[in-house]
Amino acid sequence: MPSLEEILQRTTDLPSIPAAALAVLREAESSSSSAHTIAAKLAADQGLAVRVLRLANSAFYGLPRQVMSVQEAVVVLGTRTIRHLCLVAATYPWLSKPLPGYELGPEQLFIHALAVATGSELIADQTSKIQRDDAFTVGLLHNLGKVALSAWLENKLQGVQTIAEYEKLAFDQAERRIFGYDHAEIGAALADRWNLPKTLVLAIRYHHKPQDNGAPRPLVDAIHVGDFLAMSLGFGVGGDGLQYEFDVTSLDRLGLTSRDLDDLANRLLDAVEHRKQMFQQNIATAA
Amino acid sequence: MAERSILVGMAEIHVVKGRAQLCCMGLGSCVAILALDAEAGIAGGAHVLLPESPSGAAVDKPGKFADTAIPELLTRLEAQGADRSRLRIALIGGASVVKFGGTPSPATQIGDRNVAAVQALLASLELKVVQNETGGNLGRTVTFDTETGAIRVRTVSRGDREVARLKEAA
Repeated sequence: MPSLEEILQRTTDLPSIPAAALAVLREAESSSSSAHTIAAKLAADQGLAVRVLRLANSAFYGLPRQVMSVQEAVVVLGTRTIRHLCLVAATYPWLSKPLPGYELGPEQLFIHALAVATGSELIADQTSKIQRDDAFTVGLLHNLGKVALSAWLENKLQGVQTIAEYEKLAFDQAERRIFGYDHAEIGAALADRWNLPKTLVLAIRYHHKPQDNGAPRPLVDAIHVGDFLAMSLGFGVGGDGLQYEFDVTSLDRLGLTSRDLDDLANRLLDAVEHRKQMFQQNIATAA
Repeated sequence: MAERSILVGMAEIHVVKGRAQLCCMGLGSCVAILALDAEAGIAGGAHVLLPESPSGAAVDKPGKFADTAIPELLTRLEAQGADRSRLRIALIGGASVVKFGGTPSPATQIGDRNVAAVQALLASLELKVVQNETGGNLGRTVTFDTETGAIRVRTVSRGDREVARLKEAA
């Protein structure tokens, strides 16, 4: 069985994130950041800056006039929105690719990621236990390990399903049985290489197993519940379907009730449709 | 091949006269309610997300909830000339997340709750459900040929197969 490092080394086309995007995320967290310093980080990558400007000028934001510079976009839309746009523009190129190993067509992984990011933000708003921006970031990135593992699963998916069905395993457990690692572990290893904050890496690592996380972390619970909602509503459901265990204690820790789940699901559909339309119209052609 | 292909997206309801191919992609816990009045040549489909509409709140998309989708689907079918006594209906979808051992929390089994709500409402209206391809943990993609009444469901482990034919053999 290959080690996790071997899996990463032998995988071509690993997902990556532009250094400028990571620099923007870090700068946005900094207490000394300003529109000028954030714009300077973003402007270091012209391709990324153009995509962010295109999104900023989309009808979605309804700006009265076109913004021409990144700095102006930061001033008009605010740090949080620019941070989100930057992250989406940076990840869209690989999130939008089809993943045959998981039977996901073009954009399906992106739609799922966007749904989890949006759902986790709704949970953050409702519970006030986590940072909204962290919820969005991890929601968007939580399945990046699937991008790496997809090539290894190609032509094996049906076999994995058979094993999962026969041995009554969740899909991530079946991945571990076959590869020694699941997509959450691989995603966390990649996120760690990018030097993402530890809290975010852990939330990617434990998004299917919040109870294994040691100390309770509301961000992990929010991503777990957000992922549950996105899968249930059918946002980017692939060959692994809904074959993941849901830990109801995540709801308790977040202070959510079963009625809240239905309410969140109801609101999630509208919120995702709204964002999806905006991104598909404005980023697909710019990516 | 059917002439028209119509995607029934989340929370949508579509009714067609004549031949078309109605399609619901990647159903998770959602339930596709597919109905055909073969004599009138009228068919419809609803892609339902949740069992119950929130009490006291206005519903902008009736297709979202079982209790609003079914009356709306029937109204639209009848407006086109369908007769509800002739309708033959199939339910597809309603998957839920895995629960190994123990009793699953009903709240988290959205698929099961959706199926139960749809079935109860259809039964109360004395409507015929001729095929029920629901439950499990896998995503499903369904296509419904409104002329032949053939319903095909695709899942990863079982491939693509015909699960029902809403048009009775002549």
